[in-house]
Amino acid sequence: MKLGKEEIQKIVLGGLLMLGVIYSYFDLLLGPLTKRAEQTQVSINALGPEIANAKAQIAKSHQMEADAPKDTLPMRQVEAMIPEGAPVAWFPTRMTEFFKKQNIDKASTRMTGESVDKDMPGFRRIAWGVDLPKVEFVPFGQAVAALENEEPLLEISAMQIDSSRDDVEMQHAFLTVNNLVKQ
Amino acid sequence: MALRLNLYHEVLKAKALKRRDPLKISVYGISGLLACFAFYYFFQLVRMHSISEQYGKVKWEFDQLEPQAKAAKKKEEELNQLASASAQVVKRIEGRFYWAPLLAELSQAVPREVQITRLGGEITGDGLRRCALQVDGLAAGTDPRRVAEDLRTAIADKLSPKYKNVTSTFKTLEDGSETVMLDGKPVNTATFAITVQLYVGEEKKAGPSRVKK
Repeated sequence: MKLGKEEIQKIVLGGLLMLGVIYSYFDLLLGPLTKRAEQTQVSINALGPEIANAKAQIAKSHQMEADAPKDTLPMRQVEAMIPEGAPVAWFPTRMTEFFKKQNIDKASTRMTGESVDKDMPGFRRIAWGVDLPKVEFVPFGQAVAALENEEPLLEISAMQIDSSRDDVEMQHAFLTVNNLVKQ
Repeated sequence: MALRLNLYHEVLKAKALKRRDPLKISVYGISGLLACFAFYYFFQLVRMHSISEQYGKVKWEFDQLEPQAKAAKKKEEELNQLASASAQVVKRIEGRFYWAPLLAELSQAVPREVQITRLGGEITGDGLRRCALQVDGLAAGTDPRRVAEDLRTAIADKLSPKYKNVTSTFKTLEDGSETVMLDGKPVNTATFAITVQLYVGEEKKAGPSRVKK
């Protein structure tokens, strides 16, 4: 069968139309749709681990909150031990009363310095000098033991005991103590 | 043989030509292809809709969880800080240096021939803590230097089981110019100054070393 010129033209036209349709379909319709679907799928896949992480974080936090009362008990106990107000208002009185209870009548306490501890935010350390002009060695030792047992936030960093020339039974003691207080 | 004349041959030829018109065939083909394409596109649209719906759900879930997770992270940091500070407080309380037992040990080491005139002490450092003591006094006896030496060794012996690296050394030891009455007899004296050093606690562990990338 021999094709005429008109028929050849029509075949070419048909072919071109076919190509145009295929191109338009894939490039303008199916292509963007598939691309969008792929992108959405990627987003879904990316969100999966993030959701899992978020859930894990929330669960971990809940667990920590449940454990918090146990973990922070010492901190709450310490906070309860520290009176409100300026330490200079309550600490010297506390020391005087303490030593009076230990039968050491004269005790004077002065603040000598303070420092911030970076390991313990919310607290600072205050250094005090406690002067005990008349003490006997054994009752003094007992008082020191009682002080160390009753005041866990306090540490004696230095001490000096001098015998008195006037009264051989009595000594003069000076304690340098560090106390932890709220900031 | 009968002669057949086809008087419609032109009409038939035109019909045949019309039947195999390439343009018409192309149009049919394209229509069929379009139908297939449309079906497939519709299928893809449904799939896309399902994916979008799934994404919407996931995104909604994430949007709900994200602020909660951020709040949880912040809370965790706060709790960690609090727990760390709490542990630090316990460590500090438990790591204190207790002077009372030291005074008790010292008082037991001092014999009746010795009078302590000055006792000073200081604790320094973190972790492994160093305590420096200064013991000044007066020793009396027929051989007061011997009495002072006995005191020095007695202090070291008494403190060694309870503290680390105890050293007890004379800073000064001199014959005294005066005599004292001991058990009703006048005896010579010697003045001394003993320096005692001891350690308590544990050395601080070094932090994790940095790894070069």
